[in-house]
Amino acid sequence: MENKGFSITLRIWKQASAESEGSFQVYKIDNVIADMSFLEMLDVLNEKLLKEGKEPVAVESDCREGICGCCGLVINGDVHGPDEHSTVCQLHMRRFRDGDVITIEPFRASSFPHIKDLVIDRSALDKIIAAGGYISANAGSAPEANSLPVNKPLAEKAMDAAACIGCGACVAACPNSAAMLFTGAKISHLALLPQGGPERHLRALNMVKAMDSLGFGNCSNEYECEAVCPKEIKISNIARMNREFLKANFLSEEEIEK
Amino acid sequence: MNLRFALRLFTSSLGKKTVMALSGLALTFFMLVHLAENLLLLKGEAAYNGWVDFLLSNPLIPLAELGLLAVFLAHIITGLWVRYENYKAAGFSKYEESKSQGGRTIGSATMIYTAFALLAYLIYHMMHFRFADHSIGFYQMVTEAFRNKVFVAIYVAGALALALHVSHGFQSAFQTLGLNHDKYFSFIKTAGYITALFMTLFAMLSLYFLLGLDAKFSSPYQQKVLETVIN
Repeated sequence: MENKGFSITLRIWKQASAESEGSFQVYKIDNVIADMSFLEMLDVLNEKLLKEGKEPVAVESDCREGICGCCGLVINGDVHGPDEHSTVCQLHMRRFRDGDVITIEPFRASSFPHIKDLVIDRSALDKIIAAGGYISANAGSAPEANSLPVNKPLAEKAMDAAACIGCGACVAACPNSAAMLFTGAKISHLALLPQGGPERHLRALNMVKAMDSLGFGNCSNEYECEAVCPKEIKISNIARMNREFLKANFLSEEEIEK
Repeated sequence: MNLRFALRLFTSSLGKKTVMALSGLALTFFMLVHLAENLLLLKGEAAYNGWVDFLLSNPLIPLAELGLLAVFLAHIITGLWVRYENYKAAGFSKYEESKSQGGRTIGSATMIYTAFALLAYLIYHMMHFRFADHSIGFYQMVTEAFRNKVFVAIYVAGALALALHVSHGFQSAFQTLGLNHDKYFSFIKTAGYITALFMTLFAMLSLYFLLGLDAKFSSPYQQKVLETVIN
């Protein structure tokens, strides 16, 4: 097949470690094909750099089909790139033209410590889940399906919240680096289902406490998160988290450990 | 007795935001009442001064003033606190190329600037009216200020900052209190924009006096028209 490659200029954030100073480095790449995904284009760049004996650009990715939440870049100021509600791996080079200059930065938030170049540490999100994103269930064989009736709209709503892949785009896009869309989704998907009932109050208090202690900012309801979320998590999940928190704080007799 | 639930209002993110939202809504309500009172200026000296005298004759007014001060302080302190934490979490600008992803509005992106403008304006407003000499009468004091170009310029700027602040703050408060539902959230947003538009009436009222429209409306016929409109 004829290679109709085009050339672009990349300005990529290079930073050796969290402690060192970072800066933009400029790379030219000539054989870009429109059908390449954005990550494949970076693979081509890194192969070229390796052949030239230069250090490749550190970038994280895993499933490359938009469901794992590993890849996450800010491309020309757009979190996860210019496509709406999509991950970087689902972005293709046909969105760009010959001669384009593309600026690539890592997700930034003080709760996401920098590791190298475009790679950041998102384990703070796991810590929020560990604080309360679980239910008590009998181990063993699966329960009889009709023993816990859940109506269809509710099941759909819980599923919509559970679709969160924890990529951190909400934090990255938030002017305050708040993790409230993430935490709201995680609290919502359990609060909406009867299985989440027993722990719901302590879950809300514990997960909000964990979120605060990890240094995430406070939501100012600008809804930038909703605009970039690859899984289209709605801000009504943040409102539900707020309700869950207020209910747990004022109406529940349960209290979390200090 | 366990008071951790009360403490959490000031130690947790959602607690602080709740205080901010409730005080914000209370202040919005206060401003709407304030606006209704100001509109009495259109009815003339007797109506306006009569209302002010009625208010001041209430012995509980000093207490209400203290309550209002408390609400203002709650809103300002939680606002600054939350903003400081947000600065620690995100700095001023996160990316070299920063662009809105589609959620921000002019009102939401300027919240902290309109907040400081309103605080400065509030102090000026207090010095100018609350802690001023009231001996010439309240109607005289206000309408004289409204005939001063510099005063009106500051007053209009204050009202516009307020409108911008409310345009985001109104729906934001409801969202924070968990009152978001697909069925009615667009209605809340619209109500917020309408409330913001109401706030611009403060500015229009001052311009009405600056442009001398009150004198123009003093012909018997127009006075009658005005009275029917207001009544």
